[in-house]
Amino acid sequence: MRLAALLLLAAAPLAAQSVRSRLEGRVPAAAVPAVDSLVRTAAGEGLPTEPLVQKALEGGAKGVPAPRIVAAVQLNLSELRAARELLVRAGDVPPVTAGEVTTVAWALRRGLPEPVVERVVAALPRPPRAAALHAVADLVAHRFDPDSSADLIIAAIRQGVREERLLDVSTAAVHEVQRGRTRPEALAAVRRRLPDVPPAPKPARGTVARARRPAPPPPP
Amino acid sequence: MSRTPIDPRIHDALDGGLARDALSPEARRAVERLEQAARLLAAPPAGSLEARVMAAIRRPAPSRLERLVRWLRTPRAVTLRFRPVWSLAAAVAAAAAIVATSGEEPPAFGEHEGIAQFVARFPGARSVHVVGSFNDWRAGTIPLDDPDHDGVWRAAVVLPVGTYEYMFLVDGERWVPDHLAERLVADDFGRENSVVIVRPVRR
Repeated sequence: MRLAALLLLAAAPLAAQSVRSRLEGRVPAAAVPAVDSLVRTAAGEGLPTEPLVQKALEGGAKGVPAPRIVAAVQLNLSELRAARELLVRAGDVPPVTAGEVTTVAWALRRGLPEPVVERVVAALPRPPRAAALHAVADLVAHRFDPDSSADLIIAAIRQGVREERLLDVSTAAVHEVQRGRTRPEALAAVRRRLPDVPPAPKPARGTVARARRPAPPPPP
Repeated sequence: MSRTPIDPRIHDALDGGLARDALSPEARRAVERLEQAARLLAAPPAGSLEARVMAAIRRPAPSRLERLVRWLRTPRAVTLRFRPVWSLAAAVAAAAAIVATSGEEPPAFGEHEGIAQFVARFPGARSVHVVGSFNDWRAGTIPLDDPDHDGVWRAAVVLPVGTYEYMFLVDGERWVPDHLAERLVADDFGRENSVVIVRPVRR
């Protein structure tokens, strides 16, 4: 534990240095020191820094003024803190992984109530939980009741459905609504069929042949 | 059938024993017709087999081109015999060759890689790029294509498995969310980003 903390402290300056080089030229110069400071704070607290860097780069790309970029990064930092607190409350032992903190922050940004997130986290004691939380958030985005949505996904987890297959559970419920069922009927219908839900279609052969990796960024 | 006897004087004239002037005009015409008939009989027939063979032998040999043209124009009977197993194997090999040579080589996928598909309708746009957390919000690295100029722009992108926020950048200046995306999230700058979850290709 102490060794981990020491390594974290030793790595923080290096990480901050590379962050500054990523920001310069792509984010308004006035925002760079403040964003850099927020990133250092996050690193010092053991929180993930990449979401903060991404938010600053996004603001720079969209031509957002410096004060609004700094405010957005600050908001993201507070969301990451809230996500970590939630994870600890739900039973995770610190230090929680950066990936899980980011995932929970995502779920909260997508509008999931904190108690619902806590229930899903507690139902999946070991990471990864991203697919489970996105599956619940997808249902809520389609106006399913948050608690009932969490019930369905937790039931699927208990039936052995894991990771990306949990997204197929929420998709199956949405399809039931599209076939004319009410939302409670749709959730009940999918729950009866668990763990059997149709898998997402694989990419078509033409799509696979056409797929390309992003081009490397141009030299500075 | 009765035969008309020939005048003996005509015989003599044909044998050369009597001068033609000594004959009557009618007998002289008969002698000339008989001599003409004898000349025709003496000449070999024009369409005889021998004549045709000899004519062909004497004709100059045709050139290679003439022989080729003649061979090509000559109808020929062909007997086709095949074994179904070889025909099937040949068909499979041909199909494999067509598939292998059609389009560019698809990328090899890692265990933690998937494909994100982007489709958007921007009639009249000069360029469309997708920009997001998968490319550090850097414009220009993932262009969408509209090869048939129908206003529908597409891209299929190989990305690491994960969740990403993105927007379309139209003509290098207009930021537009993906209206076909199933997930949207506030971007903290007054707009909404679209969200894509990339699942592994190798499931």
